[in-house]
Amino acid sequence: MSNPSSFPDPVQTPAIRIQNLTVSYGPKPALLDINLTIDPGLLVGVIGPNGSGKSTFVKSILGFVKRDIGDVYIQGIPTEKAKGLVAYVPQRGAVDWDFPITVREVALMGRYGDLPWYRQPSGKDHAIVDDALEMVRMQEFSDRQIGQLSGGQQQRVFMARALAQGADILLLDEPFAGVDAATERAILDVLDRAKEAGKTLVVVHHDLATAAEYFDRLVLIKQRLYAYGTPAEVLHEDLLSEVYEGRLRVFADLVGNRGDK
Amino acid sequence: MDSGVLAFLHHAFIEPLQQGYFQKAMLGGCIVAIVSGVVGCLVVLRRMSFLGDALSHAMIAGVAGGYLFMKVLFGIEAHAPAMLVGSVIAAVITVALIGFVSRVSRVKEDAAIGIMYTGVFAAGVVLVSMFRNYIHIDIMHFIMGDVLGVADADLLASGIAAALVLTVIVLFFRYFQLSSFDPVMAASIGLPVLLIEYVFTTCVSLVVVSAVSMVGVILVVGLLITPAASAYLLSDRLGRMMGLSALFGVTSVIGGLYLCTWLDSAGGGAIMLFCTLQFLVVLIAAPRYGMLSRWLRLRRAIPQSLREDILGVVLKKETAALATILHELGDPAKTRRGVLTLADEGYLSLEQDMYSLTESGRKEADRIRRAHRIWEAYLQHVGTPAEQIHGRAHELEHVGGIATVSYLDDLLGHPDKDPHGQPIPQDPALMQPGADVALSLLRDGQSGVVSSIGSAVDGTALKAGDSVRIRKRDGQGRWVVLDESGTEKSFDHKSADTVIIRLDR
Repeated sequence: MSNPSSFPDPVQTPAIRIQNLTVSYGPKPALLDINLTIDPGLLVGVIGPNGSGKSTFVKSILGFVKRDIGDVYIQGIPTEKAKGLVAYVPQRGAVDWDFPITVREVALMGRYGDLPWYRQPSGKDHAIVDDALEMVRMQEFSDRQIGQLSGGQQQRVFMARALAQGADILLLDEPFAGVDAATERAILDVLDRAKEAGKTLVVVHHDLATAAEYFDRLVLIKQRLYAYGTPAEVLHEDLLSEVYEGRLRVFADLVGNRGDK
Repeated sequence: MDSGVLAFLHHAFIEPLQQGYFQKAMLGGCIVAIVSGVVGCLVVLRRMSFLGDALSHAMIAGVAGGYLFMKVLFGIEAHAPAMLVGSVIAAVITVALIGFVSRVSRVKEDAAIGIMYTGVFAAGVVLVSMFRNYIHIDIMHFIMGDVLGVADADLLASGIAAALVLTVIVLFFRYFQLSSFDPVMAASIGLPVLLIEYVFTTCVSLVVVSAVSMVGVILVVGLLITPAASAYLLSDRLGRMMGLSALFGVTSVIGGLYLCTWLDSAGGGAIMLFCTLQFLVVLIAAPRYGMLSRWLRLRRAIPQSLREDILGVVLKKETAALATILHELGDPAKTRRGVLTLADEGYLSLEQDMYSLTESGRKEADRIRRAHRIWEAYLQHVGTPAEQIHGRAHELEHVGGIATVSYLDDLLGHPDKDPHGQPIPQDPALMQPGADVALSLLRDGQSGVVSSIGSAVDGTALKAGDSVRIRKRDGQGRWVVLDESGTEKSFDHKSADTVIIRLDR
């Protein structure tokens, strides 16, 4: 880690460690022999073509899928025992925006994991929620029903919930899908702030053109792990054309642009 | 007050209350309505409405089973608790079968529900008719319900069921809320999502079973869904929605019971009729999600095309009094509001009762004029009769946005005049000092520095870093530039698209 001062422990536990992970649905493996160690404090993009196993990858970090072989550790703890250590931010399309719930109530859901069923949220819980809303700059919209927000604001509400959860690792499913450029910047700003606060962020991303600019590290998967490293290491023309099978016209441009920087 | 009116009111409202059966119906109905209102909210939000229907039908098999069980083993007739337990068991089995069928086959859940609940219902009907000598259940009674004939045992059973269900919902409110709203998050923090779903389904079964004796199989799903749907249109919080839904349930029962005494109709039918009318009123009049308010909002909204027309009028006239603008455009009320809104937003400025365009207003108006004239050029290009061009372009200028107009502009070879010989303005958003713009979009007199050149262009003509000044297009429509040495270079459309020039400041 280049900045050891923010992480006092020099022998740090990896945020996420995946060993020999294979997951299959029927005869075809969705993920095959994935080995990956993600250090804390990084903003990591997960890229790969449609049907490449990105969502299975996300689910296995959350401990939702049955693994054929292999292990997933969250901060050194096996994922099935690590409930609540990873905060999940769903895709915008997966949320019922008509649900009768306000911005503040959504953020408060981040505290539910730590609350026993017989206890009401305490003043401390509410303070945490306030901080989280403040961090994503959504405080003034606290009492709005979530359907009455813009796309970027909606994304930020769920970021607030993830922050309120207090997890060190945030998992975001396509937060940049279907938002305009200004909103994209606003979301990225929140991601950067979360990173500064020491969080590890794993973001499923579809846009290769912006991947290099946004992330510290990239995970390139299609069933197998093709590459994990800095954008400059991952965005190689040979690699990309192998993974995307020439379906993407802009390789040359992409790789060319990277050379300029 | 007139004694006749008093007597009428007494007859209409007080007298029924003095009847024991009416009191019991009211009490039982309210208990059932409150609990189905609360549970119904979650049913609506989880999109499980059809399941309520399924459960109510399935329970006849359970009722028959429970009846037979007690009769055969203990010789007790119509043992209410046994029938209740039997119904819940039948309901849970139905749910399990539905899940099973949709998991093991390609049959989707809605079809699986349809198959299984009719199947279990049919089994119940066959059972009841086979043992009609032992089982004294009136199927019609079961289907239609009889709120005015509520037995004490039914009352007690629904009371216990309601108390149980409400306790579970209140205690585990957060779990139900989270697992309904975002099951993935719920699972990720370790909530037993599947268990919660089973508990909830059992709650729905209990509610349905205790409501069937009042309103019958067919109407029970309405009592579950309709008050919840009314409350849904009025609330932005789940807790509030549940409260309102319970309230609507209670008012439906009270209103419906009076309705049925006055009209001498079936009790269950009257309750659901009242409940549905209540929903229709809410649907029309709800402050935010109702039809009336949506219609008002639409009416009050100023359409984009009107905004653009107002800017167009002011651009044409330079300055215009409000009266002039109103005269040029129809719908005075809306136009007046449109003008005020545009002034508010800083597109128009008002001086001595005359409106004129501000800087941003002029940009916006130029953008619209550009769209209008490019559409005119395009319409001529595709052979639209000349007399229709202006009118059609006037409609189409509001279509699309910048990408549409840019596409047409490119298709037409970046014309600088429309079919009437009027100049087509440049895109105001693009022509900023320091911006990178393709040569093909530039006009006579503009100057800048070449920032890049496409690979297809002859490299000897220009190179990056050259300062250039743009001249008029030549006779063949080629783009002509003067370089530093004063030499003229010309480019065809394709090359001009790839020569990028950074405009001088």
